[in-house]
Amino acid sequence: MLFYQKMQRGKRMKRKLAMAMSQSNVGLSQPKRRRIKENIELYLIMLPVLVHIFIFSYIPMYGIVIAFQDYYPGSPFLAFDGSTKWVGFKHFINFFSSPYFARLFKNTFVLSFYYFIFGFWIPILFALLINELKNGFFKKFVQTASYLPYFIANVVVAGMVLSFINVDGIFNIVLKFFGKTPMPLNTNPQYFPAIYTITSIWKSFGWNSILYLSSITSIDPSLYEAARMDGADRFKQMWHITLPSIQPTIFILLIFAIGGLLNANTEFILLVYNPAIYETADVIGTYVYREGLMAGNFSSGTAIGIFTSLINFGLLYIANTISRKVSDYALW
Amino acid sequence: MMFGKKKNPNKIKQGSKAVDVIFYLLALSVCLITLYPFYYVIIMSISDPMEVAAMNVYWYPKGLYFGSYQLIMRDIKMWKSYLNTIIYVLSGTFLNCLTAVLGAYPLSVKNLYGRKWIVRFLIIPMYFGGGLIPSFLLMNKLGLYNTMWVIIIPGAVGIWNIIMVRTYFMGIPEALKESAFIDGANHLQLLFKIMIPISVPILAVIAIYTIVGIWNSWFSALVYLPNEKLHPLQMYLYRVVVQQSVDLKQLSFDDASKAVERMLSNIQLKYSIIVFTTLPIIFTYPFFQKYFIKGVMLGSLKE
Repeated sequence: MLFYQKMQRGKRMKRKLAMAMSQSNVGLSQPKRRRIKENIELYLIMLPVLVHIFIFSYIPMYGIVIAFQDYYPGSPFLAFDGSTKWVGFKHFINFFSSPYFARLFKNTFVLSFYYFIFGFWIPILFALLINELKNGFFKKFVQTASYLPYFIANVVVAGMVLSFINVDGIFNIVLKFFGKTPMPLNTNPQYFPAIYTITSIWKSFGWNSILYLSSITSIDPSLYEAARMDGADRFKQMWHITLPSIQPTIFILLIFAIGGLLNANTEFILLVYNPAIYETADVIGTYVYREGLMAGNFSSGTAIGIFTSLINFGLLYIANTISRKVSDYALW
Repeated sequence: MMFGKKKNPNKIKQGSKAVDVIFYLLALSVCLITLYPFYYVIIMSISDPMEVAAMNVYWYPKGLYFGSYQLIMRDIKMWKSYLNTIIYVLSGTFLNCLTAVLGAYPLSVKNLYGRKWIVRFLIIPMYFGGGLIPSFLLMNKLGLYNTMWVIIIPGAVGIWNIIMVRTYFMGIPEALKESAFIDGANHLQLLFKIMIPISVPILAVIAIYTIVGIWNSWFSALVYLPNEKLHPLQMYLYRVVVQQSVDLKQLSFDDASKAVERMLSNIQLKYSIIVFTTLPIIFTYPFFQKYFIKGVMLGSLKE
């Protein structure tokens, strides 16, 4: 026993000696030791952030196991005492076979598809228009005005829209002026897609034009000069120089717009819809909120959430793969 | 970045006047479409209550009347939610900037062990998430549900912010960092004494995005915060203008109420409160605009 202790002490002495030697710049271990110390310091600096991300991003990811259980509130996501009731894909199958599935899927797709079809080219046209304005102050003013709706809260926009389309709102007064009978737009399901599409485009078109405008700014001016020498008028210049030059930007944004084809704006819909128009306005996101969270069907709500995330990620993955192949730009 | 003040060299200088006029008219109509709804709400809120009730106001305010604003000023619930929003905005902005810097700096140091893995750890949550319900259950389990912390803490870290700041840090010349080490600084000192002061431009972008984001957000309050006393402004606005569960007209039925106040229509009160709560954003927005655009440009860069 004593011998062992002595040996240990000896080892410690040796280590001390080595340390002293390395500190007097002999040994090789000094930079390495410094690197370890440095690394510990760096890890400590970002520890709070890593812990936060683990708790608020990774634990909910792990929480999706409740989609395969009959979860009841208060129990852990995963219990190892056998109290977890595993049900396999029951909630998924229930959702797929429910009468709501087709409607929700259709509404989610239709609303995002309209936004894509009508909303995609408007920012491009707007950027081209802005580029044709000569007066610097006016140009700046138009740009500033067009970005503004993007910064207005969803709640405010929804409140405005709801009051405009009310029976006694400004929209119906305009209808009356043209000799039509006023109608309540927010109780008739057939108008919701138009309301959603117009509002979404109104809110975002200016903002979405920023990337196009910046790539127009970086076009080589000598191209335009050469075109003018060849007698091209402004439309020909727009067609043969501006558009081809921003084509890569258009293409990339097109691909990612396709990747977002099942991303209806749940938050906005939640604000403006009502039971009378569920037929066209109820999307997967709002259904999860209402039937999953509010009604307390946690397991089936989570299952529906997983289903949408998987489709969304699939679309994004396809879009990203195509983008990387044809344009060298990729998210990962 | 390259955007912003620099003049566009590609302005097209030739063409007929007629085409110019058409373009200007088009641009003007775009302006009209974007600005008119706001203008309409503003003139409705300051017109004579009789005219508003009769829906006679379109192009200019008819008979100035600020009574609806006076009424709203008396709304204690609104002031309380205004105060809550200010608390959420200030704490959220501070925390987002702080965590962006703390998370970004170690990842910008070249000889950090496992750097690649930590970056992956950050990237994955940008594409996958547990969704609404597991997060809701988590907030309950952590005891954050229905407290102010449920708005402040989960939103305190922005992964995208971390990545932006990291890219910025990596662009800072190595020589600057090395000279600090030679002077005997450790990483924490280097971070707070040198890196943060020269990262003010990027932190400004993050701060402004966070301010507007929190100012406009309502959904997390809807899901996690049933206690009305803790509601942020947008949630109060939601109750007034969307859910219509708060009746602003109640405010006018006290002894001091005048005949005109009784004439105030619900719609005028709603528009007034919309204007009053949105003004801070509209007024500061032209000054912040360049930071927003900078944010878009940074976001589009390949990481």
